[in-house]
Amino acid sequence: MSAIFLLIILFTCLAVGIPVAISLGLASISTILLFADQSLLSLAQRFFHTMQIYPLLAVPFFILAATFMTTGGVAKRMIDFANALVGHFRGGLAMAALLACAFFSAVSGSAPATVVAVGSVMIGGMINSGYSPRFASGVICNAGTLGILIPPSLVMVIYGAVTESSIGNLFIAGMLPGLILTLAMMGTVAFIARRQDLPRQPKASFKELIRAGWEALWGLVLLLIILGGIYAGIFTPTEAAAVSAVYAFLIAVFVYRDIRFKDVPKVLTESAKTTAMLMFIIANAYLFAFVLTTEQIPQAASEWIISLGLPPWGFLIVVNILLLVFGNFMEPTSVVLILTPIIFPIATQMGIDPIHLGVMMVLNMQIGLVTPPVGLNLFVTASVAKTPMEEVIRAAVPWLVVLFSVLIIVTYIPWVSLVVPTMLGVL
Amino acid sequence: MSIATLIKNTIDRLEEGFMALALAFMTLLTFTQVVLREFGAGWVWSLEATTYTFAWMVLVGMSYGVRTKSHIAVDLFARKLPPHIRRIVALIAVGLCLLYCGFMFYGGSIFVDRLMTLGNNARDIPLPRWVLTGIMPIAFTLLAYRFIELAWAINKGTETGLTADHGAANRNEE
Repeated sequence: MSAIFLLIILFTCLAVGIPVAISLGLASISTILLFADQSLLSLAQRFFHTMQIYPLLAVPFFILAATFMTTGGVAKRMIDFANALVGHFRGGLAMAALLACAFFSAVSGSAPATVVAVGSVMIGGMINSGYSPRFASGVICNAGTLGILIPPSLVMVIYGAVTESSIGNLFIAGMLPGLILTLAMMGTVAFIARRQDLPRQPKASFKELIRAGWEALWGLVLLLIILGGIYAGIFTPTEAAAVSAVYAFLIAVFVYRDIRFKDVPKVLTESAKTTAMLMFIIANAYLFAFVLTTEQIPQAASEWIISLGLPPWGFLIVVNILLLVFGNFMEPTSVVLILTPIIFPIATQMGIDPIHLGVMMVLNMQIGLVTPPVGLNLFVTASVAKTPMEEVIRAAVPWLVVLFSVLIIVTYIPWVSLVVPTMLGVL
Repeated sequence: MSIATLIKNTIDRLEEGFMALALAFMTLLTFTQVVLREFGAGWVWSLEATTYTFAWMVLVGMSYGVRTKSHIAVDLFARKLPPHIRRIVALIAVGLCLLYCGFMFYGGSIFVDRLMTLGNNARDIPLPRWVLTGIMPIAFTLLAYRFIELAWAINKGTETGLTADHGAANRNEE
C-alpha cells in the first residue's frame, strides 16, 4: 500500500515538472508522515548527514577537475594528439574524435562534460572536412558516454557510496569494458568510412606525433595518478579526486596558461553549482531509500522475484529492462540512486558480484543518455552542434547497436568486468 | 538602483562568492591533508571541517540552482501543454516545491533546536553542533524565497516553468 502511494506521488511530481530532487523528497516525506512512525526531525537529520558521507566528497572534486580541464585547454591537446595518432586513416577525423572522447573520459567522470569538451571542437571540424552533420553528432553523442565508463566516473562513485562497494575496484573494473567499447566504436567508424568513402587527414610526421603526445601527456598522466595513488594506498578515492582538482588547476593556470587567475572563481562557482544540484538529488534519494527500507519494500520485491524462480541470467534481463526504461526518463545518477536499493539486495542474494552489477548499470545508463525523451547527451550534443534535437536523435540511433552489443557482453560475461581487478589482486 | 534590487544583488553575489570559497577551501584542505600525511603530520579537525563545508556549500547551492534554473526536471509533458494550462501547472509545481521547503524547514528547525538544548560541541571542531547545522533552516528559507520569486515571474508571464527553455544545454553534470 505505502509502496504504491510512494510511487504514485513520485511520478505525479515528476510529471508536473517538479525537479527530480524535490519529487523524491516530497514522495518520501508524505509517505513517512502518513504511514510510518518517523518524524520530520529524523528526515532532516538524515538529509544533513547524507552531505557528510565521506566517499561522496569525491563528487565535487572530480567535477572541479573536469571543469578546469575543459576550460583549461587540456581537451584541445588531447584532440590534437588523437588526430596525430589516427587522423590519417579513412574517416580519421571521426576516429580521432572518438579517441579524444576516450582520453577525456580518463580525466572526467561525466558524459555530458565529455561531449562538451570534445564536441565543441570536433563536430564543427568534421562538418568542415566534409562529414555529414548527422554522422558527426552521432559519433560525439555516443562516444561521450564513455565519460561514465572509463574511470574516474561519478556514477561509479555514487553506486559505490550507496552499496558500500570499493570505488577503486569499480574504477579499475570499468577499464576493460571501456576499451572494448572504444574499439567497437572505432571498428564501426572504419566500416562506415570505407562504405561512404570518408576523407583522410594528412599523416602526422613522427616528430609531430611525439610533440602532440608530449603536450597531451600532462592531462593523460592524471589517470595514472588517480589509479596509482589509490592502489598504492597513498590516498582514498576522495583524496585522489581532490589531488586531481589541484593538479588540473596547476596545469590549466601555470603549464598551459589557458585560464587566467581571475577566471578561477568562475570555474569554482560553476563546479559548485553542478555539485549542489547533484547532491540535492542524492540527499533526497537517500531519504527515498530510507523510506523504501522502513517500509520493507526491497525485501518484498526480492521475495517476489525469488518466488518467480528466475535464474540469475533471467534476473539480469529484468534488471536491464528496468534500467533501460528508467534511464529513458531520468539522468543516470537519479536512476542509480532510486533503483540500487531495490536491485542490489536481490542481486547479492543471487550471487551476482557487486562490481559486475555496477559496471553493468553504468552501461545501461550510457544507453539511457543517448535515447529520447530524456537523454542528456542528446540535449548537450544538439546545443554544441547547433542542430535540432530530432536530427541528433536520428544520428544517435544506429550507434545503439554497438552499445547494446557491448551491454550484452558485459552483462553475460562477468569476466570482462572482473578480470582486471582480479589480475591486480584487489578482488 | 532601488534598495530592493540592491539587496537582491547583494544576496546573489554572497551566494556565488560563498560557493566558490567553500569549494576552494574543501579542495585545498583535503589536498593539504594528503601532503601532510606523507610527512607524518595532519590536522584532526580537517575531515570534519571538510564535510561541514560540503554540507553548507550544497545547502546554499540549492537556491542558487533555482535562480539559474539548473535543477534537473522531467519537463517533456509540461512543455506539450497549451500556454495558459502550462502556466497553471507550473504554479502548482512551484507550490508543491514550497510545501517541500516548509517540511524541510520545520524538520531542520527542530533538528537545530534539539542540538541547542543538548549544547554539545562537534567532535573535532571547537564549535557547538547547532551552529554548524544552523544553516539548515536558513538554506530552506532561501530556497523558498527563490521559489516565491519564480512563482511571481511565472504569474507575470516572464517565466514559463522551473527549467530553462533550451533543454539541458551546456550542463556539466551526469
